[in-house]
Amino acid sequence: MTSIDLNPAPPLNSPRQRAGGQGRALGRAIAARIIGVIVILIVISFLTFSLMYLAPGDLVKNLLGTRPASPDAIAAIRAQYHLDDPFFVRYLDWLWSALRGDFGVSIRMQQPVTTVIGQRLGSTVALIVLAFLVAVVTAIPLGILSAAREGKATDRVASALALLGLSAPSFALAILLLYLFAMLIPLFPAYGGGTGGLDTLWHLVLPACALAAGIGAILMRMTRAAVLRELQSDAVTFARSRGLSEREVRTVALRSAAIPIVTGAGLILTFIVGGTIIVETVFALPGIGSLLQESVLFKDLPVVQAVTLLVAATIAVITIFVDLSYVLLDPRVRAKELNR
Amino acid sequence: MRHSTTARRPRRAILAAVAAAAALVLSACSGGGSAAPTTELVDSGQEVDSITVAFPGSLANLYIGQEAGILNYYLAATVQEGLVGIGADGQFGPAIASEWETPDDTTYVFTLRDDATFQNGDLVTPEDVVFSLEQAANPETSPNTAYYLMSLDSVKKTGDHEVTVTTTAPDASFLTALSNVGALTVTQQKFWEDNDGKVGTSQSLLMGTGPYEVTEFQPNSHVTLERVDTWWGELPKVKQIRVDFIPDENTRLLAAQKGDIDIAFNVPLNQAEQWKKIGDGRVEAVNDLSYVGLMFDQNVAPFDDPDVRAAIASAVDRDAIVDKLLRGYGEKATTIMTPESLSKAYSAEEARKLLAGITQHDFDLDQAKKLLEKSGSADGFTTELTFPNTGPQLGTAAQSLAENLKEIGITVKVREVPLEEWLATIGDGEHGLGFMWYFSTTGDPAEVNSYMLGLENPNHFENQEAVDLVAQSGATTDPAERIDVLLELEQLNADQTVNAPLWWGQSLTYFDNGIGVHDFTPYTFLGSWGSQLFATK
Repeated sequence: MTSIDLNPAPPLNSPRQRAGGQGRALGRAIAARIIGVIVILIVISFLTFSLMYLAPGDLVKNLLGTRPASPDAIAAIRAQYHLDDPFFVRYLDWLWSALRGDFGVSIRMQQPVTTVIGQRLGSTVALIVLAFLVAVVTAIPLGILSAAREGKATDRVASALALLGLSAPSFALAILLLYLFAMLIPLFPAYGGGTGGLDTLWHLVLPACALAAGIGAILMRMTRAAVLRELQSDAVTFARSRGLSEREVRTVALRSAAIPIVTGAGLILTFIVGGTIIVETVFALPGIGSLLQESVLFKDLPVVQAVTLLVAATIAVITIFVDLSYVLLDPRVRAKELNR
Repeated sequence: MRHSTTARRPRRAILAAVAAAAALVLSACSGGGSAAPTTELVDSGQEVDSITVAFPGSLANLYIGQEAGILNYYLAATVQEGLVGIGADGQFGPAIASEWETPDDTTYVFTLRDDATFQNGDLVTPEDVVFSLEQAANPETSPNTAYYLMSLDSVKKTGDHEVTVTTTAPDASFLTALSNVGALTVTQQKFWEDNDGKVGTSQSLLMGTGPYEVTEFQPNSHVTLERVDTWWGELPKVKQIRVDFIPDENTRLLAAQKGDIDIAFNVPLNQAEQWKKIGDGRVEAVNDLSYVGLMFDQNVAPFDDPDVRAAIASAVDRDAIVDKLLRGYGEKATTIMTPESLSKAYSAEEARKLLAGITQHDFDLDQAKKLLEKSGSADGFTTELTFPNTGPQLGTAAQSLAENLKEIGITVKVREVPLEEWLATIGDGEHGLGFMWYFSTTGDPAEVNSYMLGLENPNHFENQEAVDLVAQSGATTDPAERIDVLLELEQLNADQTVNAPLWWGQSLTYFDNGIGVHDFTPYTFLGSWGSQLFATK
């Protein structure tokens, strides 16, 4: 995966608005963000293209395997996939097509890239959403509880769990889950994506749990840290001194802690993509993760380019939403962004 | 014909504690080897609604011209047919052609069955056969099969049920190319054109004449095959075959233990014992026509020195590799061609005797040391040996070789790489020492040795005598005479240590005891195997 800067960009210095220009200012801020994203995507597409160009392996040999081939056949394949064109010509060819919405044909599958990705997107999105939900509904309450009971047994157990989730390799965890809940206690199917609807959901439970463990652990530690910090903040001390009930005090603390938690959750969501490769392989799921891995190895460039851009664009969109959530959650940011 | 594209796993470290929890304990070795089924199974004559078959990796495309791993051939074999087929005994038999004649060395006249029918109910026309063969010979639409048809001169309709094929020169392996184990899987011209030539995808599927049709295909998930009544042979007993792609070997084993799988192809050798322990199933081993050997790129020093090559060949303990590392699931290779590939002229026993007559580099470290001292590299050297992640048995063999070579002063760095990276190292002019791992589907005795020794071979071995022998073997149509020529070629290989044969492979197949298969031989899965399955009593 190409890594990109995941930090939300600093708020844009929009020119001073007249009253009533709030919506327009927000619109302009988002527009500027989107232009930034497009530039980043083009840079990423060039980087991916270069890396694939330099990676070991040879497309012709991947197509032909260990078998012999006539020089004519090799020449025909090289011509068909423009392997002899200069590097920049090949990149610009790809870019020109992509800008017109044509992402080409998968060399390995002989199908349009959009079709190949379309067939698998649902499975991976469902897997990621489910894993994310599992992580959020377990990790955040656990993190809050852990912070509230700091230093007590509950805190220690929760922290130990998080350590386990973080350090267990996901393929090992996946196989352990398989053994426990598909074999010993045959609740869930062992592999595959199911036949759609509830059956697919049922098939995704174990893979989602395996995928959720790592990110859940990070989320739990982040929640715990954020809530602890808020509980010790001036605002909470002041609230207590005003004689507010402990419940009201907690609400104040949690609302302030929500900002770093949401940011963290958004960023963590972007890390799930790597985990899907392993989980999809172990559970034999037809998804984007396994597609990306196989395409990179095969040097199926059109697929790699399209999947990379899709992932990068998704990350960019999530980042924009995280930034927007600041505006919703934090009155200070809202004031700064919109009322200058 | 090509190395099987099995699971591509993320690089994994040791399966620590979890492995033990998941019962991944290797038990003591026991010999493999016999092809005879361990359980006596009786055909009940009953029909079976559906069976699940597990493949160790996903297919990306179902058309063998586009993707030609061994699993692609297995799957296509029960869906599509060539003009001729290969029977369980390795001999040619009828397929779409009911009979054929060879009026001269370069002409083949095929009489098509008048009842040959595609799975959509349309009759097969000579035009469909001509079109399919032209596509199979086209390197752009069929990069994987074009090579086998290089000697194709013309293909014409010469009657209402007759097709005549000519070659530019006599080619003894040409008939093989016209079968589904070689290059030809007959499809309908209209179907091909309706799909713009993009056949074998999840949208177009396949059109053939075999006993099963593909009704569903999703890469990385499954292929569904349904029985049809359009095939010329007997109606199969199994109505539906669902092939699931399960790349992770532990998941596959768990699914079988759970009872989800009826047949599993290519069970990993290192898991054989666990598969054998599954209560209501059995593991059957059969020679799979594969060859594993060392190759030496003669463009890379010091491998241009025959003494260096001979020293390395003498440092390989083939008996130990087969008995201990392969647990008996394989056979020490005395030549590049397999004994089965001689079946058109010799029995298995005669073939083994003949092949053992070729000069062998027996395991002898003292001899290896002497040879190295005699060579220009007496002080030893360092080299790298890569093996594909899909063949762990090659890795253990490489480690064993590295241990032995260390004693005579050669340092070998063994490195596991993804299959694709390994393919790129073959004959790349940088890796002097390498593996050749080749699954022959045709069973033709010249398929592998002519590739490893003839023109444009990946060893960069330039030798006119070898080129002449390859040409001569192609022009010799009598099977026994042809094998004599190929034995000369193998002797030349041994004399110059161009390749060092290691072992002929076996594949393990797991069967649930509810399912049997008639005539289980190295060729079974290269024929219409779906029709060979039966329900047991």
